[in-house]
Amino acid sequence: MSDDTKTHTTMRDYVSAIGRTTRTVIAPIGSGARFVSDVVGAMRDVRTWLPEFSVHARILGVESLPIGIFIALFTGIVLALLASYSVGDLVPPYFVGTLVQKTVTLELAPVLTGLALAGRVGANIAAELGTMRVTEQIDALETLTFDPMSHLVVPRVLASAAMFPIVVAVAMLVGLLSGWAASLSLLDISTPQFLKGVRIFFTSFDVRYGLVKSASFGAAVALIGCRAGLTTQGGAQGVGRGATRAVVISAVMILVLDAFWAVVWLTNRTLK
Amino acid sequence: MTNRRASDFVVGLTVLIVTAITIGGTLWLKQADLGGRTRHLTVRSRDVGGVSLGNPVVIRGVRAGRVEQIALGDDNWVVLKLGLDRDVEMPKDPVVLLAASSLFGEWQATVTSRDAVPGDRALLAAIKEAHTGSDTLAGAVLPDIAQLTAVAGRISGDVAKVAERVQVAFDDAAARELRESIRNFAQLSAELARTVNVQSRNLDRISTNVQTGLTTINDAATRLNTFSSRVDSATSRGELQTIVTNSQNAARELVQAAQNLKQITDRLDRTESSLSRAVSRADSVLAKANSREGTMGLMINDPSLYQQSDSLVRELRALVADMKKNPKRYINVRVF
Repeated sequence: MSDDTKTHTTMRDYVSAIGRTTRTVIAPIGSGARFVSDVVGAMRDVRTWLPEFSVHARILGVESLPIGIFIALFTGIVLALLASYSVGDLVPPYFVGTLVQKTVTLELAPVLTGLALAGRVGANIAAELGTMRVTEQIDALETLTFDPMSHLVVPRVLASAAMFPIVVAVAMLVGLLSGWAASLSLLDISTPQFLKGVRIFFTSFDVRYGLVKSASFGAAVALIGCRAGLTTQGGAQGVGRGATRAVVISAVMILVLDAFWAVVWLTNRTLK
Repeated sequence: MTNRRASDFVVGLTVLIVTAITIGGTLWLKQADLGGRTRHLTVRSRDVGGVSLGNPVVIRGVRAGRVEQIALGDDNWVVLKLGLDRDVEMPKDPVVLLAASSLFGEWQATVTSRDAVPGDRALLAAIKEAHTGSDTLAGAVLPDIAQLTAVAGRISGDVAKVAERVQVAFDDAAARELRESIRNFAQLSAELARTVNVQSRNLDRISTNVQTGLTTINDAATRLNTFSSRVDSATSRGELQTIVTNSQNAARELVQAAQNLKQITDRLDRTESSLSRAVSRADSVLAKANSREGTMGLMINDPSLYQQSDSLVRELRALVADMKKNPKRYINVRVF
C-alpha cells in the first residue's frame, strides 16, 4: 500500500468518525421526531383511541390527584413560612399571600406536580408498554394489523396531556389554601390581609400559564414513557431500564420545557 | 365495558369539578364583574408612574374599585380604565390622582374633586392639560417617594450649608467677644451708676436755674407793671431815667435766663443720649445674663449658687454653735 493510499484512508476514517458522531447525536432527535409524527398521524384514528381515553385519563389523571394534593399541601405551608422568614418585617404581611399565589400558580404547582407525575405516569407507561413489548403482545397487535400507536400511545398521550392540567389546577388550589391556613395559624396574618396579597397582583394569565405548561409536561411525560416502553429490549431487566430511563428523561424534559415556556411567555412581560 | 363506563363518569366528573373550581376561583381572585355591579371610568394622563393592573381605586380613602386596563393612547397620552362599584358616589368635578400608597412600591388611583387637588402648580397644570370636557377624567401623577426624597435631600443640603455658615459666623472670636461683654458687665453697671448720679445733679441744677429764671421774669414783670403805672407821671416827676435803667436791667436778666435755659436744654440732650446708651448696654447685658450664658447668667439664673451659699451659711452656723457647745473639740490648749 502506497503512502498516498494510506493517507487517503486515514482522512476517510476521520471524516467517517465525524459522520458517525453526528448521526449518533442526531439520530435520537430524528427518531423522536418521527415517533411524535407517527403519534400525531395516529390521532386521526379517533375511533380507535377515543374508547381508551377515559380509562387512561382515570389511571393517569384522577388516580394521580392524591399525589398532587399531598405535594401542594406541604408546598403551600412551606412557601408561606419561607415568604415570612425571607421578607420578615421589611414588607407588609400581605406580601406573604402575593408570594404564595405567584409561586404556587406560576411555578411550583406545575413543576413539582409534573416531576411527581413523571415518576408515577412515566414509569407506569414505560413499564406497561415495555412488558407488552417483551412479552410480544405488541408484535401480536402488529401481526393482526392493529396500529400500536393509535391503540396504545395516542390515548395515553392525550389523556396525560388533558389530565395533567386538572391535577395541577387542584394542586394550585390546595397550595393556596394550605398557604392561607399556614398564614392564618402560624404567622398571625389575617384572612383579609392574605386575600389582599393574593388578589393585588393576581391575573388570569398566572393560571393560564401554569395550566398550559402542565399540559405540555403531561404530553412530554407520556410520549417519553411510551417511547421508552415501545423500545424496550431484553426481558424484565430491560423493562426496568426502560422505566428508569423514562422517569429520568421526563424529569429533565419537564425542566427544559419549564425554561422554554418562561422564555417564551415571561420575557419582557410585566404586570402592566 | 363497565370499567370503561365507570372511567368515563369519574373522569368527566373530575374534569367538570376542577374546571368549575378553576374558573370560579380565577374570577373570584380577579374580582371579575359577574353581576354587572361595576361601572367603568376612563382616565387619561401623561404618565401612570408605578400604577399597574389590579391596583386599588380609592375615593375619600376607601377602596372603591381597581385599575382594570392601562394602554398607550394617541398624542402621548396613557389611557386607564378603572372599574368602580356602581353604588359609589363620585365626587363633584372628579379628577384622578395616581400616587404611591406605601413605601413598598404600591400605587393607587385616587378619585377626588378638582377643588381638593393639592396646590402644586405642576400638578394643577397636568390636570388642566389632561382635562377633556367629556366623560374621560383628567389624571396626573403625584410625586412619588423617590422624588420627595430627592427634594428632602436638597433641603437638608441647604440646611447643612446654613448651619455651616452659622458656625463660621459664630466662631471662637465671637465667643470671646461674648465672654468679654459679660465680663464688662460690672464696669458698665458702675459707669451707668456714675452717669445717673451726674445727670441727677445736672437735673437739680437745671431745675434751680429754671426757678431762678422764672423768679427773674416775675421780677421783670413786676417792674414792668410798676413802670407802666408810673408812665403817666414819668414826664412830670423826672423818673424816666430810672424806668429806662430798670428796663435795661430786666432785659439783661432775661438774656441771662435765656442763656441758662439753653444750657439746661443742651445738658438735657446730652443726658438723654447718655441714658439711652446706658440703657441699651444694660439691656444687652441683662439679655445675655438672662440667657444663662456666662458667669453672671449662671449667677442670676442658676439656683444652685444660692442653695450652696445658703447651705454653707447653715453649715457655718452649725459649726459655730457646735464650737460654742463643744469648744474642747476644736480648741485644745495644753500647757504640758
